[in-house]
Amino acid sequence: MRIGLRGRFIAFVSAIVIAFGVVLTALAVRVQNDRLRHELDERGKLLTTVVANHATDALALLDVSQLRQVIDDTLGQENVLGAVIFDEDGRVFTDGSVENPSRHQLIDEAARQHVAVSDALLVEFSGDVMTVTKAVYLGDRLLGGVRLSYSRAGLAEDQAMLARKTALVGAVFAVLGVLAAALLTEAVTRPLKEVIAATRAVSEGKSVPALQVRTADEIGELAAAFNEMTRRLQETTVSRDYLDRVLETMGECLVVTRRNGTIARANNAACALAGATEEELVGRHCSDLFRAPEGYTSLLHALNPDGSAQGLETELLTNTGEEIPVLVSIAAMDESPEGRRGYVIVAADISERLRVERQREEFVTMIHHEVRTPLTAVRGAIGLLDGGVAGDLGETGRELVANALRNSKRMERLVNDILVSRKLDFGHMSFHLQEVELMPVVEQAIEATSAYGDEHEIRFDLDETAPGARVQVDPDRLIQVLTNVLSNAVRFSAAGDVVKVGVTRISGLCRVAVADSGPGIPEKFRDQVFEPFARADEANWRNRSGTGLGMSISKAIIEELGGTISFDTEVGVGTTFHIDIPDSE
Amino acid sequence: MIRLAAVLIGASLIVVMACGGGAGGPAEPGGITSPAPSGVITFGSISLNPTHEHEVFRPFVSHVVSRLGGVGIGRGRIVVVDSISKMVEELKNGRVDVYIDSPFPVAFVGKRADIDLLLRRWKRGSDTYRSVVFARADSGVESVADLTGKMIAFGEPFSTSGFLMPKAALASTGLRLDNYEDAAASVPPDRVGYLFSNDAENTLFWVLKSKVDAGAVNEDYFKGLAGSRISELKILLTTKGVPRNLVCVRQSLDPLVTDALRKTLLGMDKDEEGAAVLKGFEETSKFDLLLGGPEQQLAGIMGLMQYIEEDLGQ
Repeated sequence: MRIGLRGRFIAFVSAIVIAFGVVLTALAVRVQNDRLRHELDERGKLLTTVVANHATDALALLDVSQLRQVIDDTLGQENVLGAVIFDEDGRVFTDGSVENPSRHQLIDEAARQHVAVSDALLVEFSGDVMTVTKAVYLGDRLLGGVRLSYSRAGLAEDQAMLARKTALVGAVFAVLGVLAAALLTEAVTRPLKEVIAATRAVSEGKSVPALQVRTADEIGELAAAFNEMTRRLQETTVSRDYLDRVLETMGECLVVTRRNGTIARANNAACALAGATEEELVGRHCSDLFRAPEGYTSLLHALNPDGSAQGLETELLTNTGEEIPVLVSIAAMDESPEGRRGYVIVAADISERLRVERQREEFVTMIHHEVRTPLTAVRGAIGLLDGGVAGDLGETGRELVANALRNSKRMERLVNDILVSRKLDFGHMSFHLQEVELMPVVEQAIEATSAYGDEHEIRFDLDETAPGARVQVDPDRLIQVLTNVLSNAVRFSAAGDVVKVGVTRISGLCRVAVADSGPGIPEKFRDQVFEPFARADEANWRNRSGTGLGMSISKAIIEELGGTISFDTEVGVGTTFHIDIPDSE
Repeated sequence: MIRLAAVLIGASLIVVMACGGGAGGPAEPGGITSPAPSGVITFGSISLNPTHEHEVFRPFVSHVVSRLGGVGIGRGRIVVVDSISKMVEELKNGRVDVYIDSPFPVAFVGKRADIDLLLRRWKRGSDTYRSVVFARADSGVESVADLTGKMIAFGEPFSTSGFLMPKAALASTGLRLDNYEDAAASVPPDRVGYLFSNDAENTLFWVLKSKVDAGAVNEDYFKGLAGSRISELKILLTTKGVPRNLVCVRQSLDPLVTDALRKTLLGMDKDEEGAAVLKGFEETSKFDLLLGGPEQQLAGIMGLMQYIEEDLGQ
């Protein structure tokens, strides 16, 4: 038979209460018995003492009739079995009766000896009889004594009655204990039943109102914990739904795999890209969905030691056999004692990006082949005309040819800048790094730009040098940057101005400063100085700008060399560009 | 007729209690009255404990009254007085019809009131009793003559065997006795001092413990009291025997009632009910006739009255 918590609790508490009651009852009976015995004995002793006191005068006067009356009165006392008064020799005067059969008899020898030397009580026990003997003195003269037999037989009856009463109290105590246990159990199990009912409702997906927290004890804590659990469960359910919606609406493909790479989940984007349902994808290995990145045997082999990988370009294999380029990032899910739970693979379709890149490359190729090559031919032909290969063209002809040559050079620079910029964008530009002394490179750049300065009546002044300074650079690319900055300073300087160039070593850096006395960079344009094709709206700027790619190319090259380029400017005063390159020493 | 002077013994105390059934006034004093079914017969007694005395007399009186219906007695009364003199007055005034007591009080009353001795009362199987005068065997007192200058203990002042009889006997030998309150009092060498122990047991122990030189108790009690220590005692004197108790009636009581009373008392020990009543009446064994007549019964007593009359009158 199954006994529920209620039954066990009642039985347990009842057992404790009854056991407590039994022990308490037993102790009470024992204490009461001891008390009864003590009281009875003390009563007998007290009575003997009182009788002795009452008998003193009569003993002194030898008034036996009075002694007889004293004993007669004593025999009427409860539990007194017999009493005698005796003389100093221990011979009985009277036993209280007229017949007095005990007259002249000697009392017990031990009692005689006791009263001869002590007026203390002599207490003797024999079965249920207590005999108390008390000497009677008048001053120091022994007159005799009193010997009283006291029944303790009534004690057993009193004890039995006491035991019955105590047992009755114990029984009432036990009944009350069981009732209390039942009430206590009800108080404990009722909230538990509510929790059980609520738990079942939760398991069945029903809405559960918060349980009442009636007490501050463990039961109350249970109810509060249950309420907290249901609240969090609801929050978790809401969060999961929210997360599901996020995953299903995100544009990127998301595939979750188990530790062995088996697909456990795929979102709508992944399914759409793969041309399959989630049910078709789940259970397949991720290698069946993603081709191995270049250089790896499978997608998961490309993982870093921490279980992650970013920026892997590979292809997603659709159900129709199509290969869609994707950029994949992988992250390992939380570690568990058994290891990683699995992986989250996020793949972005980069078909469009590759297509654009391809178009850009095609554009560069087209510029290179369809614009730069013919332009070179055109500039060469115009150069020949300008050189007089076709004879004297006349003043008008020479002016037209000079103008054509100038614009063709300008177009050639623009094309070259565009090509350089594209190379930098796609990382196709090659750098041949080597440690070189900086000053010759700077001087070479100044030398290369001096003709352009002369053309604009601008002189370069290298007013500060850093002999011996060495840098790890591609000298040609650095000269390209410096000439760009120098020619830029020339364009923004007025004729007759001096562009100051200084080379210094500062805190592990080598700085090349190029300062002009131009109009300064307008406030609102300063953030766009290094943007491609950036041009200020001011009129004096439009006429002085180059192709619009020079500063952005310079910034990209310097950063590739591990340095930075920045400027200080003040409108109306001038601008100083700082090119900082790590000092090799 | 015996006439005795009225003697007051104690404080005035007369208690009258009725017992038995029937209604009717007391028997008329002086003169013969016809028996009436509603007649009353009154028993008198001397005691300082009237309640106890009434309890002792009541069953006896009820039984007797139940037997006197034939002579017109339907109810009994008990009158308890606290002195002999009052009893004399009650008898003289006709308020007591029957008086039962030991010989000396009866003799004293008989000298002062008109009474007739009717019967003798046996108690505890004995019709007569005696007193003994005793001393410690080692006291050096060899005879009553040696008691001069010494102290003797008697029982109660009213006790025939404990006081009146032994005192009279000692006095009759020529000893002069004086009453003392303190046992240690100095007694002149030509006198015998006496005091009352008020209890036979007291008397015995006073002698055994040498509180007094001698004591006197009923002979019947002596052996029982002495018990195992009897060898420590020596009897100096044993008095002559006297009737234990006497029943006397007022002379003016209806002779028919007197006769019926005599017959009733004489027959009580013959039936079981009557014997039981007698047993409860201070262990009375029976009543019998006065052998030799009242004069012979009181002859010895009257001879001793001179020695104790003063005591009886106190």
